[in-house]
Amino acid sequence: MHLTREESEMLEGKLGYPVQKSMELLVRFGEIYGAERLTSVSSVHLVGGSIVSDGKAAALYVEELVNKGGKFVVNTTLDPGDVEPVYWRELGISEETFRDQMAYSKLYERLGTIMCHTCTPYDIGHIPRMGEHIAWGESSAVAFANSVLGARTNREGAPTAIASAITGRTALCGYHLDQNRYGTFKVLVSANLEDVADYGSLGYFVGELVQDQVPVFIGMPPQVTVDQLKALGAAIGTAGAVALYQAVGITPEAQTEEQAFGPKKLSESNIIEVGDREIRTTMEKLSTSSTDEVDLVILGCPHSSISEMKEIAELLSGRKVAPSVELWIFTSVPVIAYAERAGYKDVIEKAGVKILRDTCPWGWENHILSRLGHKAVATNSAKSAFYMPFSGHNNLMCHFGSTKRCIDAALSGKWR
Amino acid sequence: MEEIILRGRKIVGGRVEGEALVSHQDIGYWAAVDPATGVFVETNHELEGINVAGKILVYPTGKGSTVGSFALYNMAKCKTAPKGIINIRAEPITAVGAIISSIPMVDQLDDDPTKVIRTGDYVELDADQGIVKIISSDNG
Repeated sequence: MHLTREESEMLEGKLGYPVQKSMELLVRFGEIYGAERLTSVSSVHLVGGSIVSDGKAAALYVEELVNKGGKFVVNTTLDPGDVEPVYWRELGISEETFRDQMAYSKLYERLGTIMCHTCTPYDIGHIPRMGEHIAWGESSAVAFANSVLGARTNREGAPTAIASAITGRTALCGYHLDQNRYGTFKVLVSANLEDVADYGSLGYFVGELVQDQVPVFIGMPPQVTVDQLKALGAAIGTAGAVALYQAVGITPEAQTEEQAFGPKKLSESNIIEVGDREIRTTMEKLSTSSTDEVDLVILGCPHSSISEMKEIAELLSGRKVAPSVELWIFTSVPVIAYAERAGYKDVIEKAGVKILRDTCPWGWENHILSRLGHKAVATNSAKSAFYMPFSGHNNLMCHFGSTKRCIDAALSGKWR
Repeated sequence: MEEIILRGRKIVGGRVEGEALVSHQDIGYWAAVDPATGVFVETNHELEGINVAGKILVYPTGKGSTVGSFALYNMAKCKTAPKGIINIRAEPITAVGAIISSIPMVDQLDDDPTKVIRTGDYVELDADQGIVKIISSDNG
């Protein structure tokens, strides 16, 4: 791989151990994936936010970089952690996890992270432009950045993303290159898509089939919202390893079918049709509950945007969650601030709902949800529906459906 | 006893041998495996309930959460990781996890490893040379 003189010096250790170790990893990664050189990155989003998910070994890995003087040289944000700063005791998060998470977050802060814990960095103003080379983790954010924004990133695990944040470089391979951004699957959409859950089902169905390829959606409604594309991306990166999808007429690199596929010749077997039946079957597959009981409703996976908060507030206005049910909305700090200013927070909390920040329930320590007595959970997120049955050993039963259906379940305690 | 040799690309060097565990479905390590035990817990996955610790794990490619790199590293530190990984195509999240965990890994073999290798086969993985030697467990 060709390195500039500066990069060679970084690799030789002239800029210290953290830079050297980071360069070693990036060069090794680049050699595997055929990169001819490195490229500068201007933005990093780190998936290494959760101490429970990452494990204590990860904390030692990060701590070594901190102790040896590692510093992030590009704007870097951080994925959700395992502590909800307001409700953690009530949620049964242990003192040990609280302590470990605070210490883990502090390590990232010392490296120079813009301190936050969210899976939707684009909702807090960390937004790359079209064509910008970035190094993002968080499968849902990767799909969003590549597809909706047209920025360029591979699926970055925390180790390479940290290395990019420390060196300001990434290997020029994969989705950084034009030739890998063209579609390799054609997805003909005839399904009636209305809610985020429909888009989540679409993403899940397609992600499972295309694995790590680039699907191009044709026939997606022109009025599709950014929230719906976010849901699609979260699901497609859950069922598959899709880093980039295109939607003709919608995503910036697919204004036409010709642009979406470029010079790539499509194989006959790489055409998928998705109608109402596929959406319904996927929704049923992700809904594991056989009864109509609901004791917890989870919204905000990925973290709710301000428009989703508005929608939820409108559905809840003047109403109250059933006494047997909890409704939790996961989101980021700025969205809560704006929801408060707009009056949504007041409406939502008066309905008996908890707005939770900085965290994600699927990263929490084992058995938390079952210890709280939860058995049957409703969600509008395909990603949540997928992880729910096994994540954290809670053995939860899942209802997966539209936001409205989820709110109705919270109000009645029944899935209808 | 027949021996089959597949040749492919080194992702992470090293030599290991042991029992193969084959999945025809993709694998994302985060949440799917309990790092304390190595037991695969993802529901409706063909490996559900099976322990992957110390196995040479053979599967098409990675999927899902980008936490997977640290999740595999965590498994390695808890001694519950597979001892070797053979993929059709190495997905970056798995590759990075294997690099920092020093788990020998290869991909792009000259035949589909998920078809050629069967669970229970004894496999020698020489990732430095990109060579997979399969010593079939088939008694027939």
